[in-house]
Order: sequence, then structure tokens, then C-alpha cells
Amino acid sequence: MNQIPGYIGRRAIDSVNHIINIFAFNYRLSILFFNRPLEGRALVRRIILEQIYFTAFQALALIIPIALIMGSTLIIQFTRVSGQYDLGKVMIVLIVREFGPVITAILVILRSATAVTTEISYMNVLHEIDAIEMAGIDPMRFICLPRLIGITTAILCLFIVFDLVSIIGGYAIVWILTYVKMGNFLGQIGNAITATDIAVGIIKALCFGVTITVTCLTNGFSLKKQITDIPSGTSKAAVECFFYCLVINVIISILFYL
Amino acid sequence: MIELIDFTLSGDGIGKGLKGLNLTLHVGDVYALDTDSSADAVIFLKALATLLYPVQGLYRFRGETLDFSDYRTLLPIKKKIGYIGSDAAMISNMSIRENLLLMRYYKENLLQLTTDGIAETLCVQFQLKESLDMRPGALTPSTLRLAITARELAKSPELLLLEYPENYIGQVHLDTLSDTLESMPLFQMIVVFISSDQHLMERFATKHISIINGNLVMDIL
Repeated sequence: MNQIPGYIGRRAIDSVNHIINIFAFNYRLSILFFNRPLEGRALVRRIILEQIYFTAFQALALIIPIALIMGSTLIIQFTRVSGQYDLGKVMIVLIVREFGPVITAILVILRSATAVTTEISYMNVLHEIDAIEMAGIDPMRFICLPRLIGITTAILCLFIVFDLVSIIGGYAIVWILTYVKMGNFLGQIGNAITATDIAVGIIKALCFGVTITVTCLTNGFSLKKQITDIPSGTSKAAVECFFYCLVINVIISILFYL
Repeated sequence: MIELIDFTLSGDGIGKGLKGLNLTLHVGDVYALDTDSSADAVIFLKALATLLYPVQGLYRFRGETLDFSDYRTLLPIKKKIGYIGSDAAMISNMSIRENLLLMRYYKENLLQLTTDGIAETLCVQFQLKESLDMRPGALTPSTLRLAITARELAKSPELLLLEYPENYIGQVHLDTLSDTLESMPLFQMIVVFISSDQHLMERFATKHISIINGNLVMDIL
């Protein structure tokens, strides 16, 4: 019977340690972000661009259809109750404030976060991190910083694309394919959107970017020896990213709207 | 000059470990390692490469005491060390050329660089020219190890560590490696190697380090 409190205690300590590690990792990366030595800058810049390409550009083919489906479905559903709700306001609340950042984050978690965790884990297990250190290069600057900047920038870009495509594209699809009466939809959107909505969306996207990258990197670096630990580590990182993003989403929404 | 003072290493799950080693390695000497356990020899080489951290003791590299509490302070030392051993790796998402040029890319802050000098010579000697634009994963294991050897030698290291070179790059290329080593300014370097090839030991070793049961037995001139 005494084993149960012991188990709970150990799990609690491990979880707290893990979260402290994530914050410490974040702190180290923040210092690197502001401390910009000239040495290696060209290489770091190239890796940042590669990350933006992999995370943002290659994801466009996926996020555009998802945004169109989400936008058009929401418009169709809410025009049915348009007597009760301001359609423009509803779309802003759902798309810009909530769905935009969260769906973008989920997409990046599914595509890039798992890839980054797997990549870093393999590099760790196969001594590639050691090889980078043996070249006199700090892996935090060579591997982690470009991924932090690249993925965060990519999420921000994808969030903007998602919002624009789901609102404008969704409207266009409904207008072309159906006879649903939407009134002055774009005018309603223009009246409903505020600077706070845009700022909150951007803040969420930035926070999600940092959280996803740092969580994946921390999990990737924590796997040292066993190649068989990589799949479970990767799924653990993905679930953690999703959970942290939801928590951050709620916190930001409460801070700005309550 | 490298000094190890009361240098103690844990077995790391593979060897017995090393206990309170006191040893000085001089520039210009080639040390052949003789141990009762090959795992301990590997551990010793990895510790010299600063890939394993001691549980106790000091490591002085050219008079500078290494601080193992912060890996960043070790980076300037690591780039002076060439490690050709089982744990040496290439970065898999870069081509062989990029791997060979990585240090220069970083230091010179330029990406339009080409292999030259010793790196170019080694690529020719190890027949790597056709593999330069391939990723490490596309190479055969033996070619990959040759590329790693070329990269480490091209660093012009101050400390060169070789772990069973006859197994690592194979007997076919051992003569090429031996000739390359002979052409290098060994008088400016410290070389430590372990080998089961008696001919290689006789050809290069100027001193022997014997470690039995984790203890330094003698340092024979």
C-alpha cells in the first residue's frame, strides 16, 4: 500500500523536474537568441530558412484545404442561426482567437514536432551531437536556435494563412457552391475584428512556436542511449506539446478576454 | 602537453573504469595503449577526447584545466582533438563535403567553401571525391569511416586518438592511413592509439601506456 504514495511522489518529482528542464532550456535559448556572435551566423541562417521551408512552406498544401473546410463549414453552420448570432463576430471568435492558433499548432505538432524530436533523438543516440561538439560548435546554437526561430516563424506564418484562407476562402467556397444567404459577411468581419484579436492570435502563435520547439528539443536531448526509446519519446513529446498548447491557449484567452 | 591528475573514470557500463590515473602526455610522442580490457582502452580514449567526463581528478590540456561542469568551456578544446573511433559520427542531414567543411563554415562564416589543403589530399587518398555530395546514409560503412577519418585528420588536431584503426578503416586502407600519419607533423601532436596490429605499434609508437585493472602500471620509454 505504501508503494502507491511513493509511486505518485516519484512521478510528481519527475514531472516537476521535466518542466523545470523545459524552462531552463528555454532560458538558455533566450540567451543565445539575444547573444549573436558573428561566427557561424551564415550556417545558422541557412538552417533557419530550411526549417521555415520544411515547417511552413511544405505544410501549405495541408493547411490550405483544412482552412477552407473549417471556414466553409463554420459559415454554413452559423448562417443557419444567423438570426441569433452575428456571423462576422462568431467567425472572429472561433477562427482568429481560437481555432486558427490551435489548429495551426496541431498541424505543426503532427508534422514538425514529431520530426524534430525524432531527428534530435537519433542525433543523440548516433553520437552526431558529439560530432558537432568535436567540431567546436555549440549544438544549442547550431541545432536548437535555428529550429526555435524557424518553427516559431513558421507557426506565425501558418496562423496568418489559416485565418485568411478560412475566412476569405471559406466565404468564397460557400458563395460559389451554395445558395446560403450570408449578408454582408466580409463587412461584418471587418466590423467585428479588433486589434486585440489580431494581437492575441499572434501572441498565441508565438507562444505555441516556442513551446512546441522547446518541448521537442528537451525530449529529444533527454534520450541518450536506446534507439528503441525514440518512438515512445516522440509520441510523449507530441502529446506534451498538444497539452501545453491547450493550457497556454486557455491562459492567454483568460488574460485577454475575461 | 596533457596532464591527467588523479583521473578517475567510471566503467560506463562497458568497462572496469580507471582509478586515480596520473599521467603526462608530451607533444611529439605517439603513445600505444596496452590494456587488459579493450573496453577500458576505449573509455580512456573517449575520456581524452572529453566525450566522457571523469568522476574525479583533473584534465589539463596545454596547461589549461578543463571544466567539465559546463560543456561550452570544452568546445574550444574539442576542436583541437581528432577522434577516430567507434563513437565518431557524421552529421546525417549534411553531405560529406559539408561535414568535412563544417568547422570552416562555422569559423569563417561562409558557405561557399571548397575542400582544400589536407582535406583535399585526404579525399583523393581515401577515394572520397565521388562521395563528397552524398549524405552519410548513402555511403557504405567502410567509406563512411574513411570520411570520418579524413575529417578528423583534416582538423590538424593537437591530440589525435585512434581506436583500433586496423578494424576501423580496414586493412585495405591501413597503409594509406599510416602513410598519411607519417606525412603529418607528428612532432607537433600527441597521438594516442590502441591497436592489435603489432606492425602498426612498432612503426609508430614511441611510448607505451599500460593500464591493468584500471590502474596505470607503467609508462615505458
